[in-house]
Amino acid sequence: MSSKIEAPRPRSVDRSKLSYVSTSAPKDSEVPKPRLIDRSAVEYIRPVLTVLEKNVHSPVTPGVVHFPQFKITPALEKAANKRIAQYPDDQRRSAVLPLLHEVQHRHGFISPESIEWVANKLGIAAIKVVEVVTFYPGFRQKAPGKLHFRVCRTLSCAMGGSYELMAKLCEITGIDRSSADTHKDPISISPCGSYSVEYAECLASCGTAPVCLVNDDFHEGVTPEKAESLITQYES
Amino acid sequence: MSDITYLPGKEPHEKEHRLIFRNIDRKGWNPKIKTYLTEGGYKMAMKALKMKPQEVIDEVKASGLRGRGGAGFPTGIKWGFIPPNNTKPIYLICNCDESEPGTFKDRYIVHQDPHQLIEGMVISAYAVGAHVAYIYIREEFPEAAILLEQAIAEAKKNSFLGKDIQGSGFDLEIYVHRGAAAYICGEETGLIESLEGKRPYPRIKPPYFPAAIGLYMAPTIVNNVESLCHVVHILRMGGDEYIKLGTPRNSGTRIVCVSGDVKNPGYFEIEVGKVTFQELLYDMCGGPKDGRTLKAVIPGGSSSKILRCNETFKIGRGDDAEEMTFWQLPLDFDTLAAAGSMAGSGGVIVMDDTRRMSWILNNITHFYAHESCGQCTPCREGSTWMKKVSDRIEDGKATPNDVQVLEDIAYQIDGKTVCAFGEASAWPVEAMIDKFRGELVGETSDDNDTRSAERIAQEQFLSSVPQ
Repeated sequence: MSSKIEAPRPRSVDRSKLSYVSTSAPKDSEVPKPRLIDRSAVEYIRPVLTVLEKNVHSPVTPGVVHFPQFKITPALEKAANKRIAQYPDDQRRSAVLPLLHEVQHRHGFISPESIEWVANKLGIAAIKVVEVVTFYPGFRQKAPGKLHFRVCRTLSCAMGGSYELMAKLCEITGIDRSSADTHKDPISISPCGSYSVEYAECLASCGTAPVCLVNDDFHEGVTPEKAESLITQYES
Repeated sequence: MSDITYLPGKEPHEKEHRLIFRNIDRKGWNPKIKTYLTEGGYKMAMKALKMKPQEVIDEVKASGLRGRGGAGFPTGIKWGFIPPNNTKPIYLICNCDESEPGTFKDRYIVHQDPHQLIEGMVISAYAVGAHVAYIYIREEFPEAAILLEQAIAEAKKNSFLGKDIQGSGFDLEIYVHRGAAAYICGEETGLIESLEGKRPYPRIKPPYFPAAIGLYMAPTIVNNVESLCHVVHILRMGGDEYIKLGTPRNSGTRIVCVSGDVKNPGYFEIEVGKVTFQELLYDMCGGPKDGRTLKAVIPGGSSSKILRCNETFKIGRGDDAEEMTFWQLPLDFDTLAAAGSMAGSGGVIVMDDTRRMSWILNNITHFYAHESCGQCTPCREGSTWMKKVSDRIEDGKATPNDVQVLEDIAYQIDGKTVCAFGEASAWPVEAMIDKFRGELVGETSDDNDTRSAERIAQEQFLSSVPQ
């Protein structure tokens, strides 16, 4: 007996016999007349993007000029290999977060190309990297400004005046936060690309409220009056 | 310990008992190993390596140490849960994902005294038999991640880490793993998923108790930074001596972080249960700001239930029950649980009479709506609904029924989710409505529109379409 299993051949179908398949074009009278709709009132008709395109899409921002474009360099490879070595050989996927941190630290944000690089480096599907990037608020998908302010908005800092601090920062840097969305698009960038702001959830220094992170530097007791000097200290 | 001088303005209060924070804000102190060694650093690790692992576990059990991360589970008992017939590698994870609003104790340990943590991890890893340990540090501590890696390199150079530690034959590697700003990673199974490189969706318990099936499906012990540091002091003092600190079943010291409307907010290391709210908020923190009175206190991080300052509680059972005002409550695990709240992570947030409770509630619900991981429905949907309803109440656009709706939502999340985040998001809302219902209802009006925002948008859209 042959162990080979033969695939069944596709049956040929005589389409003309199928009564429910209409082979001719519908007559005019059958087509219901479309209702008149004011198209400008319908906002939801937009070019259709696939889920992946939508999530991996990195909009170009004015801040992009401050960061080098993603490039695989020996230094990046070396740093990545060091991180991968921290985990058991059969658990390379654990290095997703460290590798993304390496990329974001060097290039400012996580671009689609870098996602592909991380996936190839770890031998996993790109979607497994995408799901991590889209989940964590710590990973950005668009370039922030040269100075990225993360202002704590949680209870103790809010009581200490972090909402006012944010308003003051936006006023000084000319940032419009009206389109910011805490889930989908938390970062707002100034038109010049030098500054960006974002609300962070509890930076764990509630006793010295309000606090904020400027890039990787931590500042405590930043009352709204100190916003001006906070910015100028980086400009010198 | 009187020979230690602290930085001006940072001296500990006389009611404090500093073990973990002994070297915090100390004059001439730096996070280098040389400084730590001059103070007898790593001696306890050496002592532990000469003992049997079971003896170390027994010592920690005898000390009665309860986890300082939030749940207050006894650390020694947790260590004993590793299956005895285990053949897989055992992992130790230090939970440094300090993100509970109101808590800021681990920040100072990892920034100023990282070697204390590493020594605690060496002892703990030896006790549970782990040869690989990870420190899961939150993304918002970029400087601490670098400091810890430097400290680990220093310890390795001095043979306190790595292969064959000080000739004892015990190997241990510690790695730093940075998170990415997700609150849910503080939940231990969520943290494990995150360490495995996935979305931090918490695992369901049972069967996924980390001590049996944890990281890479191997037994894993997850401990808070402060708990691991206490292990060093337990070995130094001995479990029997350590248990004398604090009160029965609430032994040792713990770090209480006070923030909000007091004159001198900050961190205080106190003996558990030896300090009352009166002493903490008035003597140590200087009381309310001038011309104000204290209104409410969140005693253990924003997830714990809020307490009114003019409340009285019945603590104890049956005939032993005694009446206590809020100010007489001692800060320990059991009393706060009896008062209907919890000691949690030790983050005390104080609010005075200038604060609107609807505003506080709104801030908290925004936090939980942002941080819900979205794995299970009651929490994902419920936290967003609570945010929307509290938005309405805060804006003054709500009807009195909305307060009832908010309470119903909270009780439908509580106890119906995979992890404790459900309770963490529901409890503050439940307690806030329970204690301040009058104030919240007072901000609503029967005249307000009962239509939802979606309904209004829909009606506007339909009216714009020509018929």
